[in-house]
Amino acid sequence: MSIEINKIRNIGISAHIDSGKTTLTERILFYTQRIHAIHDVKGKDGVGATMDSMELEKERGITIASAATFCEWNKHEINIIDTPGHVDFTIEVERSLRVLDGAILVLCSVGGVQSQSITVDQQMKRYKVPCIAFINKCDRSGANPERVVEQLRDKLGHNAIAMQIPIGLEADHKGVVDLASMRAIYFDGENGEVLRYEDVPAELLELAQEKRDELIEQASNYCDELAEAFLEEQEISAAMILKALRKGVLTRSVTPVYMGSAYKNKGVQPLLDGAVQLLPNPSEVTNTALDLDNNEEQIELGSSNSDPTVALAFKLEDGQYGQLTYIRVYQGTLAKGDTLINTRSGKKIKIGRLVRMHASQMEDIDKIPAGYIGALFGIDCASGDTFTDPKLNYSMTSMFVPNPVISLAIIPKDNKAQINMSKALNRFSKEDPTFRTFVDEETNETIIEGMGELHLEVYVERMRREYNAEVTTGQPRVAYRETITKRAEFNYTHKKQTGGSGQYGRVAGYIEPYSEGEFEFINKVTGGAIPTQYISSCEKGFKAGLEKGALMEFPVTGIRVEINDGAAHAVDSSEMAFQAAARGAFQEAYKKAKPVIHEPIMKVVVETPTEFQGTVMGTINQRRGTILGAQDEGPMCVVESQVPLAEMFGYSTVLRSSTQGKAQFTMEFSNYRQVPQSITEELQKKKAEEGKKGAA
Amino acid sequence: MLKKDLMVRNPLRAVSDEHGYILPEGGLGAVVARAGVGKTALLVQLSLNSMLKGDKALHISLGDPVRKVSLWYREVFNNIGVHYHIEKIDELWNELLPQRFIMTFNIDGFSVPRLDERLTELADQNIFIPQMILIDGLPFNSETKRTDLHALKELSEKFNSHIWFTVRSHRHEEPDHDGLPVQIAEFADLLDVIIKLEPRNAAIGLKVLKGSGPISSQELSLDPATMLIKP
Repeated sequence: MSIEINKIRNIGISAHIDSGKTTLTERILFYTQRIHAIHDVKGKDGVGATMDSMELEKERGITIASAATFCEWNKHEINIIDTPGHVDFTIEVERSLRVLDGAILVLCSVGGVQSQSITVDQQMKRYKVPCIAFINKCDRSGANPERVVEQLRDKLGHNAIAMQIPIGLEADHKGVVDLASMRAIYFDGENGEVLRYEDVPAELLELAQEKRDELIEQASNYCDELAEAFLEEQEISAAMILKALRKGVLTRSVTPVYMGSAYKNKGVQPLLDGAVQLLPNPSEVTNTALDLDNNEEQIELGSSNSDPTVALAFKLEDGQYGQLTYIRVYQGTLAKGDTLINTRSGKKIKIGRLVRMHASQMEDIDKIPAGYIGALFGIDCASGDTFTDPKLNYSMTSMFVPNPVISLAIIPKDNKAQINMSKALNRFSKEDPTFRTFVDEETNETIIEGMGELHLEVYVERMRREYNAEVTTGQPRVAYRETITKRAEFNYTHKKQTGGSGQYGRVAGYIEPYSEGEFEFINKVTGGAIPTQYISSCEKGFKAGLEKGALMEFPVTGIRVEINDGAAHAVDSSEMAFQAAARGAFQEAYKKAKPVIHEPIMKVVVETPTEFQGTVMGTINQRRGTILGAQDEGPMCVVESQVPLAEMFGYSTVLRSSTQGKAQFTMEFSNYRQVPQSITEELQKKKAEEGKKGAA
Repeated sequence: MLKKDLMVRNPLRAVSDEHGYILPEGGLGAVVARAGVGKTALLVQLSLNSMLKGDKALHISLGDPVRKVSLWYREVFNNIGVHYHIEKIDELWNELLPQRFIMTFNIDGFSVPRLDERLTELADQNIFIPQMILIDGLPFNSETKRTDLHALKELSEKFNSHIWFTVRSHRHEEPDHDGLPVQIAEFADLLDVIIKLEPRNAAIGLKVLKGSGPISSQELSLDPATMLIKP
């Protein structure tokens, strides 16, 4: 690993499902001689493409988890981070986008810019990832790369500029004309590995010249010398064009477009050239960390190998030899034998074996310098953890993890499934902090919790595929909560005399709404009315009361308890007696404090062609949603709203069918809000019915 | 503090008619000021005032995204909360939220017929029927047509609403002989109220250039620290 930082590229390949992302990655690995044979995505030959290491992905032909793989091209080292194409896996998406410095946006030359491409593009915009585009499948019937370039401009707002024109389309697709160097490139050999450069075919010369002028005109916006040379009609070299264009790419103000057909082995090598020539190296990207000693203030990281180390674990995988942790080093160097701190847990870790990954094969290395991606063995950590030099207390991601909003009971089919399920759950909860699991003591069922319907569905599916754990699932349940709306006093005596020593404890005080947190306990007992040793029992008793509210048995939050008086008995008082007294006191006061139910409200953002704006708003309105606003962005329109999660089940199907599949939405947790009275009554009715069923 | 108390203490009450309106039904009003003086802050307070009354307010921004407009509302509302010592401000905010609708357009993408189309669609589905419409960022230049203002007036009448918009003036431009900013002088006959914001010593004064009723006789200003209206 002696290569300079300007020869490193950490890139992602982003695309919607079925635009050929995995095939393209496979070809890249083949041409960079990382693999020596080409396999198809859907596994016709039973081997499957190399990049999709998960069974589920192989079957569906989609990529869910991000694996990092390393390859070399033109003396540059490229780390390819496979990015999930779906927005619902927010944490996963966020992590993979954190570690990339640039991206290749893959589009289908027939389908063009589809709603999924819009999603993917939005993610890149949000994380300001510079990108180049690749229009794939030029061999397919109906291929029209020029239209896709137009769509990139109109639908995605990219300043897209073609770097190539195709030589033939559909079945006649033979190669491309490179506009910067004005050469035709053909791809010979069994797998297109031999590049043949020739003059531009006569019939394309005029078009190529016209497109080249457009390219130079665009590029000259970023370089005065080039602009001058263009105006003075001087000879302009490919290098000059690329140098100027690169400046535009780094600021995300221009998107160069390459084209070809990965499946037919055309156009991949020039795309790789483009990636190393135009996308940024790690030192050209500003990365920030959060200073935990300073109220999570943003700190700009350096990219020098000699700075104190800051690294992010962005992906975990279960390997043959234990947990494999993918890591990106942002500053400093991570070397074998180093001692670092995991800022989340505060634990010290010693770096053992370091490797560089190529999908599922690995190569041992001694150190990972700044800007590089590698993997560690034998480190116990969770995905998203930051490792730093003991001098620093930085975190790459916010320590704030939202509480799950939806839960699902899962029941293993048999004993074997039970064991495998436990393994899977253990792994998933380590990988994803928003995924949690516990056993419901009453029903003895295993419950999984997460951030949305799809979020949980994917994990259930992964359990089946990867861990061979057959499970059946219950109905998804929304994580309702209870809270109180007014202050209520309590004065409760717990007294029992049933032979032997009795139980006695009295607690008095009040409970009131508390908006700054979930629970606060204040002890204002004076004069020893309640002996000090029983105060913590009182707190325990109140906390026990919070587990199930008296209204609908949902967890209670947002309560402050103050005890200010009480009484004890020299013989009959005990910790247990005071716990019981506090529980009783809570029940007594809770009913008087006007309890209400709160439900999770999601921020739902729908992006739709303008003609469906009204329809989309209608669908939100029907779901008790509040429309915050509608943003008109030319042909597309973004509708922002807040909708109760309970109303969002099955929304993707409704949205698809009411907008001809042209609208798409993202959903994230916003806040908890009081459930309207009519809905509370409905919930109570439903619960009563369930209770009856259970009794029968 | 209840919504009602907040309305009673609202300084805008002193300049409103008995129904709480500054403009007549179907009327148009303009807030004129130089950049950065507080047009949007005033517009948001006019909007919040109508929301507190139980009316629905449609805020149209030409240029700013929904998120930025939302921020303005939250900021002004929080300041009101601090100023009037409102407890449970979040609860009150959640209660008011469904009464507000933000629509944003690129300046080039905005036209009155387009707005009419959107509003009709919202009204037909009974999603949102505004009693108050606020348009922030409508360009007033040589291309502004009288027909557009007429169309806005018709729209206001159609929905029985009140429309306020902002007009940006420039330091170097002299007002016309009636003291009206040049941008709107030729449309003044179509406007029911024109308020100019101008910095005065330690506050920003609200000068009524056109208008009748309580608005014409009361002195109001904006506190430059919080941008809240004060008597």
